[in-house]
Parts: sequence; structure tokens; C-alpha cells
Amino acid sequence: MSSPEPLLRVRDLKVTFGVGHHAIQAVAGVSFDVLEGETLGLVGESGCGKSTTGKALMRIVEPSSGTIELDGVDLGAQKGKALRNVRTRMQMIFQDPISSLNPRRRIKDIVAEPLDCWKTVTGLERDAMVSDLLVKVGIDPKVYGNRYARQFSGGQCQRISIARSLAMRPKLLICDEMVSALDVSVQAQILNLLEDLKKEYGLTLLFIAHDLAVVKNVSDRVAVMYLGKICEIGPSNTLYEAPAHPYTKFLLGAALEADPDSPVHGDVLKGEPPSPMNPPSGCRFRTRCPYATQKCADEEPELAEVAPGHSVACHYPLTIKTPRIRKPRTAA
Amino acid sequence: MSPDNEKLLVVENLATTFSTAGGPLPAVGGVSFELMANETIGVVGESGSGKTVLTRTIMGLQQRTNVNVTGSVLLDGHQMVGASEQEKRAVWGTEVAMIFQDPMTSLNPVMRVGKQIDEALRVRLGMSRADAKVRAIELLELVGIPSPEHRYQSYPGQLSGGMRQRVVIAIALACSPKLLLADEPTTGLDVTIQAQILNLLDDLKERLHMSVILVTHDLGVVATRTSRIIVMYAGRIVEIGSTREVFSAHRMPYTRALLESSPKVTNDPHTRLVTIPGRPPNLLKLSDGCSFAPRCSFATDQCHKERPELQDADEPGHAFACWNPLPATRKRTVKTT
Repeated sequence: MSSPEPLLRVRDLKVTFGVGHHAIQAVAGVSFDVLEGETLGLVGESGCGKSTTGKALMRIVEPSSGTIELDGVDLGAQKGKALRNVRTRMQMIFQDPISSLNPRRRIKDIVAEPLDCWKTVTGLERDAMVSDLLVKVGIDPKVYGNRYARQFSGGQCQRISIARSLAMRPKLLICDEMVSALDVSVQAQILNLLEDLKKEYGLTLLFIAHDLAVVKNVSDRVAVMYLGKICEIGPSNTLYEAPAHPYTKFLLGAALEADPDSPVHGDVLKGEPPSPMNPPSGCRFRTRCPYATQKCADEEPELAEVAPGHSVACHYPLTIKTPRIRKPRTAA
Repeated sequence: MSPDNEKLLVVENLATTFSTAGGPLPAVGGVSFELMANETIGVVGESGSGKTVLTRTIMGLQQRTNVNVTGSVLLDGHQMVGASEQEKRAVWGTEVAMIFQDPMTSLNPVMRVGKQIDEALRVRLGMSRADAKVRAIELLELVGIPSPEHRYQSYPGQLSGGMRQRVVIAIALACSPKLLLADEPTTGLDVTIQAQILNLLDDLKERLHMSVILVTHDLGVVATRTSRIIVMYAGRIVEIGSTREVFSAHRMPYTRALLESSPKVTNDPHTRLVTIPGRPPNLLKLSDGCSFAPRCSFATDQCHKERPELQDADEPGHAFACWNPLPATRKRTVKTT
């Protein structure tokens, strides 16, 4: 399904909040492509700018510089009606499923709202489409269509959000931490649903999350962000099995596996991320990196390809395969 | 300091029922387990499984109205069920202390963190202002806060989430409790900070010879840091056993479903996850049978009618509540192939 043509092309995207002394560069020059039909995972710790990147793509927050091209259309150059037109082709799903639905509206009206705004379908056709969308996400429109968001569990609300986002048949879906508020059994249901709908609707996904295991399960490629920059991007399996950036290695080392045989207490990253108000010179990770040298403080490393499709922003990329990720055991 | 083979906590047939407009809500129903000195036990379950209510009941933090607690919680000789406020105060801090999930709301935002640690020392141990300050700074150092003298003067809002959780731990440890109840201590934290906090708890448990009850929804958190695990569902223990047994030789279908539905970092992209159909039951409308029966693929008529009690598995200390348990002999693996 995937073709080599990027659906979304992001170049040197920057987002700055505040001005003067109080300026915070939440996203400090991020470039990536999302190919048609693929899922790109975006991981990082809180404050690394992953959600801001997602919002800037939708222009919910205004990028301060950089270009965003969706299917060859420069989103930054669009205004007013033209921007609204482009936006129908991309949709976003947010973290908190309950607060992202209007508490005073019935869920069938929530799902119908995009259709009503655009008047693409009206009357009976509209009602049929709403029912169809709700059925697709596993909610019976006859029984539940007239209920309000508060009458649903978190998992069901997330299903309704998905139905709403699909109403305009978008090409790109930006999922911002969409399963982090859910219990593990419900999370698995939603992730499977997302995979099914992705196939059915031919969606391209940008999947933003902090949970490394969840991201690995849905993404073809993964980008790791640290303090507003991408430090590594590559195919999921390669990146998880042989991380080239020290930060990726530590992040994976800290991820806990539900397995008592997993190596205990690997190397734990010391300290906390520095403030984005005053980022370190050179490499942004150098203050916590055990391999940092003077060069890391003086020169900022650029993203460079270490293998086809696998790029890393580090002066001293790791080449040794870490033993942390083991092949699945076979049942005895 | 108690020897390792001593029972520090004995919980027997503990039930916590809330009176609600919809009728009695049995948040915890008939829970029994024991905890040895210097042992870490994990309590896992989904939201609404009663794990938080269980720890709050052990601690004696229930409000006096609209709650009915029955059974027994014997903590180092102190009965916590039905104890007066005064009796509980004598136990809090020195015998048992608790760490809550959200480190922002468990600290007073308009009080310097140092003063919040001092408070425990001065009220409970009767220390002087000056002694308490010295001890508070020691505690801040113990939990790994850099430049503790400086941080003593900080307000919670000036600290990061990880630092605030370290302060909460310092307060909990101020009076050297024998039992530490940690309710989702790392849930709001980033993975690298989570690893730091879990390592800190492990280290402190060894150094201070404490027992820990680690409550979490994340099986990864308990996998390598506990000796035994309790799996809860709808307010009851459905499986209990050594961590290794529960992970590799679980008998209860719910435990297996829980393990299989968690995504793994070793999975290939687009791996189909095993899901549990439906959702956790409404505690107001629990059936007489097994609470998991409506979602269980092995359920029979008996499961819907009669509630299974905990029964012993082959391994000593391993028990499960199920009429149709998974076979004992097969070595199960949580990895999906």
C-alpha cells in the first residue's frame, strides 16, 4: 500500500512560545516525512515537544518557522477558507477522551458535526453515514446514539472520537497519546481498532506517545525526540534492536517489560531533561550523556544517515548491538 | 526491626463497601493475604479493581461515613479495622506510611518542602526545630535530591514531577515506617524518571529494612521488583503467587489475558494484540458467580452461578480463584508469536 511519495513533508519546523527572555522553543527545527499509508511513531519524554509538533502540523498552534506540506500543498501559506479546506484532510485525536467530546451534545451529533459544517452529505444520507461510522468503531447507533459523553467509559469515548475524526475521510490522522488514559485491556481493543480502520480507510498515521511498547506495536518507523529536536529516526525494528543514539538506548533501557526475566536495573539515565528555556550548547543531550566530549558541547550534531532510512543526530553514534531487546522466546 | 520470617501484615477477609445512591458498592470483597517483613509485594489490576481502596483501607484512610469495613488488618500487632483516629495516628508514620500517585496534589503548594518534612518529624517524633531541619536535609539527601540545603527552601511548584515524588518519599520515610504503601508511585512520570524512582525505592527498602506494597496497573513495574504478586479483579484477589509463578505459570485466565493484552517492545509493528472482550463489571451489579465470567472464554454455567474461592496451586503460596483454570503443567509464555 505504501508508496515512496511522502504524504506529509515537514522541514525545519520551529515553534516558539512567549517572547524575549521568556521565549521557549518547544520545537527547535524538526524535519521528517510521513509516507503515504505508513505509521510514523513519535516518542519522547514529557516536554520534548512531541505534542506541540502534532499541534503545529494542524496549525492549532502557529509554527514560528518551517514548512509543512501535505500532499504537495504548503500548509503554512494557506489562510482562511483555503486552510479550512486543507484541514479536512488531516484530523487529530487527543489524549483525554472524555474532555475532547462536548458534554452537552448527543454523540450522534458530535460525530455528525464535521458533516454539518461542510454540508458534504445532508438529510438521510448524513444520518446513514453517522450510523455507519459508529458501527465501524463498535458502538451501536440505535442504542447509544442519543446518549451523552458522560454516559460512556473512556475507551468508548475514544471510539467516538475516532468516528468523528473519520467523518471527513481524512488522509492523515494525528493521534496524540490516544491510548495513554486507558486500561491495558481497553488499550489493546483501541489499538486493534485503529489498525483495522487504517487498512479500511487507507489512513496515514502520525502516532504520538510516550509508551515505547505501544509505539513499537503500531509504527513502521519511529522518531525519537529530545528537547525539541529529533535525535533518531528509523524503521521500528532496527531502532529498537540497535539504537544508534545514546538517548534512545537509555530510553529503551528504562522501558519496563512485563517479564520477570528481563534484565534488572539496566543503566539508568541520571538527572532530568534541562529546561527548554535555556537549552545546552551543542548537542542537547550532552548534559546527561555518559559519552559526551568537548566536541558535543561545541558543535551541534545534525541528523545523518547511518543506515538506509535510519538517521541519527550524534557525533558518536552507537554501533554495538545492545543485548537489551531479545528475540521472543518460543513456547516450550 | 523485625526478622525476615516474621509476618508484618496479616489481612483477613477484608471487605470495604461504600454506600452509594445506587446501593452498596463492594469495592473490596473478602481479601486475605500476608506480608512478611522486608518483602515487596505487587498489587496489579485495572482501574476499578479495588487496588487503591485496598491500600487505603489497610492504612485506615477511609472516611467515617458511608463506608463499611469488615474483616481484619493486623499490622505489626495493631488492628487497623475499627481503630479510632487516635489509635491510627499512633501507627501512621512509624509503622506504616503511604506514597500517593500524584506528587503535585499530595504536597501543600504554599509550604516549603522542607517544612513539610519537618512537620512529620516534629509532631510524631517530638524533635526540636533545629534537629528536625538537620534530619529533613538528611532525608532529602537520602532520596537523591541534589543540593538538599537549597531544596529545603523550595516550594513544590519549583520542583519537577520526579523531584516532588522524591520529596513525598522523604516525608513517608521520615519516621522510619516498617511498611510502605506505594500507590502507583510512578504513574505520572516519564520512563527514565520512573526507573530512577523505582530503583530508589528498591534501594531504600534494603537499606531501611522495610516491607513495600507496590500498587500499579503496569505489569512491567512489578515484574522485576517484587517477590510476590496479587492480581485483583472487581475487588477480589483472583491470583496470588510468587512473581515468577504468576508470570510464567498463571492459572487464572484473567491473568493471562492481562499479560497478553499488554504491548511488548519485542513485538513486530502491526502485531495484533490479544484483547479481553467487554469491560470490567459494574460493581453495583455483581453476579453471584465469578466476576470475570462474562468476559472469559472458558466460562461455564458454574462460573456464572457460583463464585470460585482461592484454591492452592502446586507451588506453595500460589493460589487462584477459578473453576476452569489453565493447565498447570504447560510452561506458559507471555510473548505472542
